[in-house]
Amino acid sequence: MVNLTIDDKQVTAPKTATIYEAAKLNGINIPILCHDSKLKPFGACRMCLVEVEQMKGRQIPACTTPVTEGMIIRTSTPDIVKARKMVLELLLLNHPIDCPVCDKGGDCDLQNLTYEYQVSANRFTDEKFQHEIDYNNPLIERDMNRCVLCGKCARICDEVVSFGALTFIDRGIETKIGCEFEGALNCEFCGSCVSVCPVGSLLARPFKFKARFWALTKQKSVCGYCGTGCNLTLGVQDNKVLTTIYDAEQGFHKGLLCARGRFGYQFINNDKRLTKPMVRKDGALREASWDEALQFVAGRLKGGNVAALSTARLTNEEFVLFKDLMKLAGSASYDHSAGYAHSALTKGLSRSFGVAASTATILDIQKSDLLLVIKTDAYETHPVVGFEINQAVKNKGVKLSILSDKRGKLGKLPGAKTLVHAPGTEIALLNAITKVILDEKLTAGTAASVAGFAELERALSDFTPEAVAGQTGIDAASIVQFARDYASAEKALIIFPTGLAYPGHNADLASAAANLAILTGKLGTEGSGVLCMAEKNNSQGAVDMGFYPANGGKDAGQILEDCASGSVKTLFVAGENPLVSYPDRSKVSAALDKVDCLIVSDLFLSETAAMADVVLPACSFAEKEGTFTSVDRRVQYFKPAIKKVGLSKSDFEIFSVLINLLGGQAPASPAAAFADIAASAPGYAGMSYAKLGEEGAFAPVDVKPALVAPAVVRPTVEQGKLALLVGSVLYHCGTLSQYGEGPMYVCPEGYVEISRADAAAHKVSEGDLLTVTSSTGSTQLKARISPRLPAGVVFAPYHFEAAQVNTIWSGAAVTWVTVGK
Amino acid sequence: MSDAVAQQTEQQEPEIDLSIADAVIDKYIDIPGNLMPVLQGVQDEYGYIPHVVADHIAERLNVYPSQIYGVLTFYAQFHLKPRGRFIIRVCVGTACHVSGAPRIVETFFDKLGIGHAETTPDLRYTFEKVACLGACGMAPLAMVNDDTFGKMTVQKVDEIIAEYNQRPMK
Ligand code: SF4
Ligand code: SF4
Ligand code: SF4
Ligand code: FES
Ligand code: FES
Repeated sequence: MVNLTIDDKQVTAPKTATIYEAAKLNGINIPILCHDSKLKPFGACRMCLVEVEQMKGRQIPACTTPVTEGMIIRTSTPDIVKARKMVLELLLLNHPIDCPVCDKGGDCDLQNLTYEYQVSANRFTDEKFQHEIDYNNPLIERDMNRCVLCGKCARICDEVVSFGALTFIDRGIETKIGCEFEGALNCEFCGSCVSVCPVGSLLARPFKFKARFWALTKQKSVCGYCGTGCNLTLGVQDNKVLTTIYDAEQGFHKGLLCARGRFGYQFINNDKRLTKPMVRKDGALREASWDEALQFVAGRLKGGNVAALSTARLTNEEFVLFKDLMKLAGSASYDHSAGYAHSALTKGLSRSFGVAASTATILDIQKSDLLLVIKTDAYETHPVVGFEINQAVKNKGVKLSILSDKRGKLGKLPGAKTLVHAPGTEIALLNAITKVILDEKLTAGTAASVAGFAELERALSDFTPEAVAGQTGIDAASIVQFARDYASAEKALIIFPTGLAYPGHNADLASAAANLAILTGKLGTEGSGVLCMAEKNNSQGAVDMGFYPANGGKDAGQILEDCASGSVKTLFVAGENPLVSYPDRSKVSAALDKVDCLIVSDLFLSETAAMADVVLPACSFAEKEGTFTSVDRRVQYFKPAIKKVGLSKSDFEIFSVLINLLGGQAPASPAAAFADIAASAPGYAGMSYAKLGEEGAFAPVDVKPALVAPAVVRPTVEQGKLALLVGSVLYHCGTLSQYGEGPMYVCPEGYVEISRADAAAHKVSEGDLLTVTSSTGSTQLKARISPRLPAGVVFAPYHFEAAQVNTIWSGAAVTWVTVGK
Repeated sequence: MSDAVAQQTEQQEPEIDLSIADAVIDKYIDIPGNLMPVLQGVQDEYGYIPHVVADHIAERLNVYPSQIYGVLTFYAQFHLKPRGRFIIRVCVGTACHVSGAPRIVETFFDKLGIGHAETTPDLRYTFEKVACLGACGMAPLAMVNDDTFGKMTVQKVDEIIAEYNQRPMK
């Protein structure tokens, strides 16, 4: 800590602080324009000038100057005010004064500073800029006439997002912000640049001319897409969520969001929302009253032979009620997505760690020394975690090792080492790495005493790097080096995504990863451990609430089989869309056809809901209260931002009524349900809505490590065929994002990515319609030629109904396909 | 960019042979700070930096394409469009300006049908306005490649164009 004087006040600040940070810490406001806490100091705008007595009254930028012991600083002398006024006058010289039509009006730093410093006239004159406005993409409008050249957009896109779409181009008075070869913006559309732009140069087009900033009600919430658990501020007017508002202080991610969080909120007020219950009569779904629909459902549930499938987007409170409802209906068969999708978490981590949860948090990423990322998709499934990885590697010098079946953006980070392995061989590869660690005695002192050590050693005897090299396609020396890198790092964190479209990411993968951490002692300390990133916003909550098969209950795959065989008569599907997202579509559709009664609660008439006998209109997260648990077990409370759309009800209300109709007793409110959770769910003890506050709280993880020998299934290679990988694409999450306009603008349809080599061999050009055929079916997909795929491998995102990728994707770790034109 | 040139670059770019760029990149790939020499070397080969080549360099050197574009537009030495066989420069510095440079410039524009920093579709001429060429005594001044023409007049513009129209293209 250093001592200094700011505006005659004695204060202290950390040694590493800048004058700006020191002032802020001590409640003294210095105006900034080009500075943002997430970015490296830049010092371009000169708005933050202050005087330092030791520098003989020279004016220096507070945002770039570090504090020193005994500094005497003045932040608002008449000279400084004069200088700031001049900076503003100069900025306003070329800047158009179109505030009345600018969406940033009321939220613009330039406007607010002009007001604060009362710049009502300009001593200078010059021409206004005449740049053409870029309307070329539907999400971000770029009007460089309003730009103050603070560089924040270009810096955030480089430093945090690592996409680098924007840069300073030309020089001198011609300088402006633009894209490569003055083209249109075509990027990740995370909107980070829009959020940090202090003026109206970058605007969210979906929000354009919808409302004035000050007229919006701002409601804090939690993103409803993935398990990162980003915090959101929803901008609401007339019971509509019109936009998401940037709050630089919000959440661990400091207001950053991905394309889905930023531009995917439109599903909340989508015209296609279900507003009334429907019951099938004479073969068609017809509107019904809630009473009629729920009485009907209760009757069916009383009839027995019931099972349930749920989305992992329900609140924790709803999961508890759904489980209670199933118990009342006499069923133990409930699951929150296709069985294997979360077995990494439920089966793998619980047998390796004694608890079905990650041992590390997202906050550990920047505190680690080495990140071992399995599948580069970590970044596409949980983009804001990707930002954390970028920052760790670029700002903190954290090393990055990647094991993946294809290349990806993470592999471009400085110093990243990628091993691209043959599809479906990741567990064998992890086993080989573990074996090197055992053989070279790179283990921690206590490793040999951990349960299962001897068995593991024995089980891995065949996994020498040389033996595994052949099947994985990676040379033995690289495997050895990889193992040494991981073992020699003081702190290391293993990260991998799991979810519906990651069949290979199963219990054995999780245990294989856990073994590495346990053997090398990289567990339970800051910056180390295993982070298993389940797909949806409340996947971890579903697990914590026990909404997956236990005590003889069936998992999703078996439930569908039981539907097909007739032993399940009534299937209750809450928010899940198995017809599109589960593998082997024909099997799923046959199962859903066969059940006597299909009950679906959803926001939309999904493809699955369209088959139902009863459709219950559920409401979105923006219309209810409850808690979600992120992948790192941060439990976060959110409350409604708008009134429920139409006659929709929350799943909490739906389940409550049904529980009561079945003779049970539902908790009176989500808060009461949460009190029950706090009393029973491991790690949730002592939590309450009031205590969660805005930050949420981490449910602690109590690890009891055990070494488990992971089983390896060797994918049978089908000669002459291509390996189909299924997965997530950056802009989408499950099938819900199909109703978010933003994601659909930039990524509207399914496709198949094919390597350059295979494209050449099959004479495929970009955009060609390819027929992709596997043992389970055939579908047509547009070709995208991609440098990230190795030869022999194709990739298709699974989210899109029209693409019907699940007709060809069997659910095996690797699906072999042929492609033809 | 005039439409003619835009069309031309579009027609030309697909035929660009990236192996020429690769040879340059290979030479510098392991050297830190290799972006400038690669761009210079590549420009020597192609005469300018085609868009596809810039993208290719970005991929191989693992830098953002936008970053390359930033560098290309910062330094006057780089050219983003095909350049003519003959580079006509007309000085518009103070001395040349007061002795009638604007009329000379306009006359070249009229006769060649191109504007500042543009190239004729036949790739014979590129025209550029430049600030002081350091021979103010001869103002107004024009240059074609390395040849200097002092005390320019509108008539001299015709003579210069007539002369260079005769010259071979290579
Ligand atoms: S939206 Fe995101 S990726 Fe696109 S330019 Fe802005 S910061 Fe970069
Ligand atoms: S567009 Fe906005 S963020 Fe980017 S440099 Fe201009 S004013 Fe700054
Ligand atoms: S989808 Fe995930 S990463 Fe994106 S904003 Fe929402 S929680 Fe964050
Ligand atoms: S905020 Fe310090 S120079 Fe811009
Ligand atoms: S002003 Fe033209 S040569 Fe100096």
